[in-house]
Amino acid sequence: MNGKPENRLERIVTDLLRGRRLTLRGGDAGEKEAITAAARLAGTSQGPQRMHPAFRRRLAEALEQQPREGLVTRRMALVAGLGLAAGAATGGLVGRATEPKPVAGTGGEAITPVSGRWIDVAALNDLQEGHGKHVVAGSIGAFVFRRGESVTAVSSICSHLPCELWWDGHNGNLACPCHPAAFAPDGRPVDAYSLPALNTVHVRVTSEGRVEVLGTE
Amino acid sequence: MAGQPPEVAAGGESGQVIELPAASRATDIALDELELVYAFIYARVGNRPDAEDLTQQVAMKAIPRLRQNAPASAIRGYLFATARSVLGGFWSTRLGLSEAELREDLMLVTPAAEPPSEEGTETVQRILAQLSDNYRRVLELRFLHGYSLKEVAAEMKSTVGAVKVMQLRALRAAAKVRLEE
Repeated sequence: MNGKPENRLERIVTDLLRGRRLTLRGGDAGEKEAITAAARLAGTSQGPQRMHPAFRRRLAEALEQQPREGLVTRRMALVAGLGLAAGAATGGLVGRATEPKPVAGTGGEAITPVSGRWIDVAALNDLQEGHGKHVVAGSIGAFVFRRGESVTAVSSICSHLPCELWWDGHNGNLACPCHPAAFAPDGRPVDAYSLPALNTVHVRVTSEGRVEVLGTE
Repeated sequence: MAGQPPEVAAGGESGQVIELPAASRATDIALDELELVYAFIYARVGNRPDAEDLTQQVAMKAIPRLRQNAPASAIRGYLFATARSVLGGFWSTRLGLSEAELREDLMLVTPAAEPPSEEGTETVQRILAQLSDNYRRVLELRFLHGYSLKEVAAEMKSTVGAVKVMQLRALRAAAKVRLEE
């Protein structure tokens, strides 16, 4: 039933009308024009949208985290952040709101693809302890880590911005290229962002010493 | 806000005035410009969570690279160029759309003034005006009036299944509407 294009599109339209994120599935690409049209109609039906005050504050906080070597200095971002917050609809004063918050993320759920299948991604002997290896199992990207004879895996997509992480061997963590966020091999955020943990990925070691990740075709 | 020199900002304790350094002007303007970027993106992805993520991507990519004392027009151009790139990446990742297929969205001119005209409700009206009566009606009821499928079916004296198919065809037709004419 859900495979019918009208049903697929109705699910997407319902999500849009409820203000939900666009979550598209493989077969949805067949109706890409209709989907972008639906997004366009949903996005313009209530006129130009302004940022939610909470998002403006988060944006100011994120800019505060920009590297110092950038042209925007920490102090400038802080001051600009204060200016932003002063204009926010809440009218609340932020003071040191641009300081990083303690890590309070959740996340960490395992990715269990519909009709998932185990995909061979590496030999156990090819994995070095303490080193993250990027693997792809169909539509699932992951970093696998060896610990003795067992292996763990986390998603290779940042839990905040949808960017592909990279293995920072120097610091022993997974770094996001889109903003200064990093995650430990078990997926926990290791900096001061209040980010959710990375999703975990199902992984197993076969009796033949092969590493398999639960991915897609 | 965008054109004002950021001499002071309210903040701190008891209404304390904080003097901003002149060097912050370009960044301050850029942050105000992000409101326009957000409207631009929201009008194309149609939901707040994605619009916020993409706007943040634009900010994190573009703002550190902006030169000090850059004119507002240059800042806006750079931010919107980045926004188009980020949007292109979003759709190509989600749906496998090429930039050529996204031409209409990505080639839109940089808005000159707030609010950007492409983000207004007139866009919906211009699209709907070029559809047949039934297609226009089903999209009006759903997107402008927030009707459920069942409510649309009752209003149009049809069945939910038929309305669902009509909605699909109407959106396919809406996708073919060219706005620049």
